[in-house]
Amino acid sequence: MNDFSPGPQPGRRLTAVRSLVMAAALLILAGSLPAAADAPPENRACLRCHAMSTLAYRDGTTGNLIDLSIDPRRLAGSVHGKLACVKCHVQDYAYYPHPQRTKPEPLDCVGCHREGQARTHYPFQAIADQYAKSIHGNGDDPKLRDFGCHSCHDPHALRVSTPGKALAEIVADDNRVCLSCHVEVSDPLRDRHHWLPNRQAHWAAVRCVECHTPMATLADADQRVSHQILPARQSNRDCVNCHSGNQRLLSRLYAYRSQEELARDGLFAKAVFNEAYVVGMSRSPLIDRLSLAFIGLTGLGLIAHGVGRYLAYRRAGEKHA
Amino acid sequence: MSAIYLYPRWLRLWHWLSALLFLMLLVSGASMHYAGNPWLLSFRRAVLIHNAAGILLTLGWIGFIVGNLISDNGRHYRIHWRGLVGRLSAQVRYYSYGIFHGAQHPFAVSSAMKFNVLQQLSYLGVMYLLMPLLIVSGWAFLFAAYLPETLFGIGALWSVAMIHLTVAYCLVLFLMTHLYMITTGETLFTNLRAMLTGWDRESGRPAP
Repeated sequence: MNDFSPGPQPGRRLTAVRSLVMAAALLILAGSLPAAADAPPENRACLRCHAMSTLAYRDGTTGNLIDLSIDPRRLAGSVHGKLACVKCHVQDYAYYPHPQRTKPEPLDCVGCHREGQARTHYPFQAIADQYAKSIHGNGDDPKLRDFGCHSCHDPHALRVSTPGKALAEIVADDNRVCLSCHVEVSDPLRDRHHWLPNRQAHWAAVRCVECHTPMATLADADQRVSHQILPARQSNRDCVNCHSGNQRLLSRLYAYRSQEELARDGLFAKAVFNEAYVVGMSRSPLIDRLSLAFIGLTGLGLIAHGVGRYLAYRRAGEKHA
Repeated sequence: MSAIYLYPRWLRLWHWLSALLFLMLLVSGASMHYAGNPWLLSFRRAVLIHNAAGILLTLGWIGFIVGNLISDNGRHYRIHWRGLVGRLSAQVRYYSYGIFHGAQHPFAVSSAMKFNVLQQLSYLGVMYLLMPLLIVSGWAFLFAAYLPETLFGIGALWSVAMIHLTVAYCLVLFLMTHLYMITTGETLFTNLRAMLTGWDRESGRPAP
């Protein structure tokens, strides 16, 4: 969070919040927040205040500005849009005013998304294990102290990418999350991807996580991307991992593109205007060399045969003469 | 001199259409496989041409199979097992030795059998083994979303890619040999003319 101006003293925090709440109530009375009406009825009371884009307070200890606003439209479109707020914010928030000293909330994803439950098809426990091994989970940078699922996945706006959404859009949305913290990547003087050929083409076509996560193993084949974000020095720098026969990453890209195009264009158009082919996906240096050698030898053999026939033809002509 | 009507119109049409598609697929396939080479087509154009030509080739192949089933052209693809080894060795001997010494061709074309045994076996291999493999692997590429992630522990898409690539190289070998063999008729153009007109004319053959 950014610092904008000196904030109120810690003891006056809730007073400031109350005054903002009053402003929100006025806005709602004026009917300026129609999207809040789309929310489940039990959430309307919450969104009366939290739908205000300016609802925030400054944390007395850290001095950071804590944003309390929720975009009701994005919430309504998110995977959690049909849930009651208090389903997750279970402690202290069922009533207003909220208590002055609230208990810390256990808002981790795995708490709700346990294995085997019908409400999710994602292996959240595996994701949590991968995350624990990732640079975000165990890095020693002090900035990572409060890092968690919500640092990348905003639970109030999270949507699942479904086939039909343009691939470029999915890639851009996905990479935006990474780039919102890793701003140095957008700075040509500080970016460490200078070794990567066709950088812009890569960033438009592939997600950061394609290279910055380990290859999925057979054990987690149903999960397309690992949450074990690798440190830069361990990330994939080998072009042939994608542009050649190593198949798993390539298959991942190709299969997704193919699925996406099928959903968008339909069966017939997909067959003709198939744009899912990834350069180098059929490349195998061994088969290429062997086959080209065979083709070369066959060519030489045929030429030799032809020359032999020509010589025999001339010899026969001379005999006749 | 005698003439036999060997290639009906539908077969010639299919043959030359396949030849054209083969060339388009070869050039566009190489352009995709070796993308970035300045001598080849641009990647995007190559993909479009390859997909469209592949679909037409599939239709052509189905037409060929149906044609062989409903017409009597299919009989040329039935192997006559009796004396197969002898005929095969005579044919190999002719192409490797006899052809240089003015030997008589060991096989006489007739309306009952237009292929010599080497021709027959290679056409059988191409039309009933390599082409189906090529077509199935090509369509598997087009609809890769429906493929399983792995097949017997190997990446399914990778297996498909390798099959398609290997078969494509085999068919390049076939095409080279096929083009050369055209010239081994009585004159350089006898066989080519037969596939254009349908009539096989050879001077040494007694009239039927």
